Amino acid sequence: MKTSLNFTAYLIYLPVVLILTWYVAHTLFKNSKVFMMDIFNGRSDIALSSNKLFETGFYLLNLGFALTIMEIAAEITNGRNMLEILSLKIGGFSIYLGIMLFFNLYLFFRGKRVARQKARLAEAVKVMGA
Amino acid sequence: MNVLAYVFYLLITYVITVRTGLVFYRNGKVYIKAVLKGDEQLTDFINKMLLTGYYLVNLGYAATMIRWWKSIESFSALLSTVGVMTGRIMLTLALIHFFNMAVIYFISRSNNHLINHTT
Repeated sequence: MKTSLNFTAYLIYLPVVLILTWYVAHTLFKNSKVFMMDIFNGRSDIALSSNKLFETGFYLLNLGFALTIMEIAAEITNGRNMLEILSLKIGGFSIYLGIMLFFNLYLFFRGKRVARQKARLAEAVKVMGA
Repeated sequence: MNVLAYVFYLLITYVITVRTGLVFYRNGKVYIKAVLKGDEQLTDFINKMLLTGYYLVNLGYAATMIRWWKSIESFSALLSTVGVMTGRIMLTLALIHFFNMAVIYFISRSNNHLINHTT
């Protein structure tokens, strides 16, 4: 057995990571349009634009990270070894992706809260001025 | 095998740079317009300048990185090197992108036009 399994490991790692990132980003940014509409007071052009910008940034950041950590330095000799290394890599990446997802959700909720406070402030100013 | 790797690398980075550049170009226009309070001509001009600058910086950076590549002996090394290098480019892109969004956010907050204005 002289053939190393590194190439096979990369061929498994890359599609898994791509599909995982695509799925998370797709779900997150399909549902975030509602938040964006709230944050920008229902101005749909700027809400959709910032949604798209955040989506692109999310893809760049996470795919970039996935590719940066992809290198397997050790020589993989058997199937068991490959499974262990791959599970550590993919599991670690999934945890990272989950943290990013919750961070994004936190940002959306925070933006919504700030927008509501500002709206209330504007209302109060209008009442005082009248 | 380095030449093969360079061809793949340059193709991938070119596609990524141009596609994200176009996305930023189309969607960033609303922001610049809001910051400039609706000056259409100046918005188009600034947007185009930003796009050109972005292309120059990115493609230049991608091409410069080739100088420091190790020599590649096997297919798995080819895959991993191209992957890691592309990943670094994407991370840099993401950093620049979020920095830009932060700058636009702070500018718009200081003249209070983007979020509060309702028309």
